[in-house]
Amino acid sequence: MLEANRHPNIEILTYSEVVNVNGYIGNFEVEVNRKSRYVNESKCIGCGSCTDVCPIYIPNYFDENLSARKCIDIAFAQAVPAIQDIARESCVECFGCVDACEQQAIDFSQQDEIIELQIGTIIVATGWDLYKGPDYGYGTYENVINQIELERIIAPNGPTYGHLKRPSDRKRPKKILFINCVGSRDVNKNPWCSVVCCNLSLKNSKLIQSEYPDSEIVCVYIDMRCAGKDYEEYYRRSRDAGIIFVKGLVGKIEEDPETKNLIVQFEPVGTDSLVNMEVEMVVLSPASLPSEGTVEIARVMNMEKSPDGFLKEYHARLDPISTKVPGIYLAGSAQGQKTIELAVSQAKGAASSAGIPMGKGEYTMELIRATPSDERCAKCYKCIEACPYNAISVNESGNLVVDIILCRGCGTCAAICPSKAIDLTNFKDIQYMAIIDELLPIGA
Amino acid sequence: MAGTIRAQYPASIRTVLVPCTGRIGSDMVMRTFGRGADGVMIVG
Repeated sequence: MLEANRHPNIEILTYSEVVNVNGYIGNFEVEVNRKSRYVNESKCIGCGSCTDVCPIYIPNYFDENLSARKCIDIAFAQAVPAIQDIARESCVECFGCVDACEQQAIDFSQQDEIIELQIGTIIVATGWDLYKGPDYGYGTYENVINQIELERIIAPNGPTYGHLKRPSDRKRPKKILFINCVGSRDVNKNPWCSVVCCNLSLKNSKLIQSEYPDSEIVCVYIDMRCAGKDYEEYYRRSRDAGIIFVKGLVGKIEEDPETKNLIVQFEPVGTDSLVNMEVEMVVLSPASLPSEGTVEIARVMNMEKSPDGFLKEYHARLDPISTKVPGIYLAGSAQGQKTIELAVSQAKGAASSAGIPMGKGEYTMELIRATPSDERCAKCYKCIEACPYNAISVNESGNLVVDIILCRGCGTCAAICPSKAIDLTNFKDIQYMAIIDELLPIGA
Repeated sequence: MAGTIRAQYPASIRTVLVPCTGRIGSDMVMRTFGRGADGVMIVG
């Protein structure tokens, strides 16, 4: 990220949102809302003297709200650019930061700013979010956490500086249960496999086991899906390290109100016994969902989505990088659930795909386009309303003009025209009538 | 898609490829009925 930020040809707009996209490959016009951080980016040097004086603490989003940050603070330690922003909805406007800032960078009058960019090609890489449903008492029982929260807890720069502590009493849990496939591989919730969670459970359970060898870790799974290079070996090493893997589905989970321990009931596959177990912490591996940003960018750019809500690629097997719109490419989990190495491969593929037309400076497309006829046109202009790409306009003499680049050759205008004045190259009405006549011979 | 999942369909079905379902006008549908088709299925 830092390297990208320092690259002379890369401009990173953080704390910004794409609000509108028009145009076509080579000539996209993109409107970006640069949200106001109330700190002048060119003046701030990130010294943090404003953070020191700020009296307000708010939940730290980066730490999954497990720790607190100041109202004026850096998003996280390695954030790029390393400058502060003010969460205005929580600010009490004491202006202590204004006095503390030697650079006079704090500007409470800053407004959101819409900037317009001329863009050649677009790569959408808006990622995924975690399913946060109430399964297994998540959100009700304090010691039921998800993998990302555990990631933060065991991170050296996290809320507990890397010491494993459970949320209820900040003591180290010895008996930990991992539950895989929470809200995923479930036809009533999210039918897909989220791909990464098996390995995520392996990684985190193994980390805990090696740091605290007296831990007792049980992992309940439906199937361990450790496909891919080195993953099966990783799974084997976890089993050798003493982590217990049980095939089954957890049926019930209850909290002991005094100790806040969790009493878990499950039936291991292949046995008739029902296991009742008391554990000190439960870690869920929830489904991956299209991120808020993915949902939003699909709406803004009018992008096609797969039934699962992830962005639709040109072809699921043969071209998972392009979209149906020339010049727009996909990378990472915005397109579907995937592991890091696949996301990296796809990102490099997307960068190369975008580089081809950019380097050539030209793009070849099939000219299946709407062709209006001025003589037949009755000027009802129904086609203008019907066109999903706003490709049809009217010139001074009232005749139709089709923008041959905006037009994608869907033929909706040809179907709706009452006077048959607009037709589609290679897909003409007369051709269709001939096809129908040939397919359905009279008297056959 | 039908091919990928090995779906079977009767041999009496005739398919006409369109660039987009929006291309299909009522005149095209009426023509098929006029030529004796029992039904038209528009699949997108």
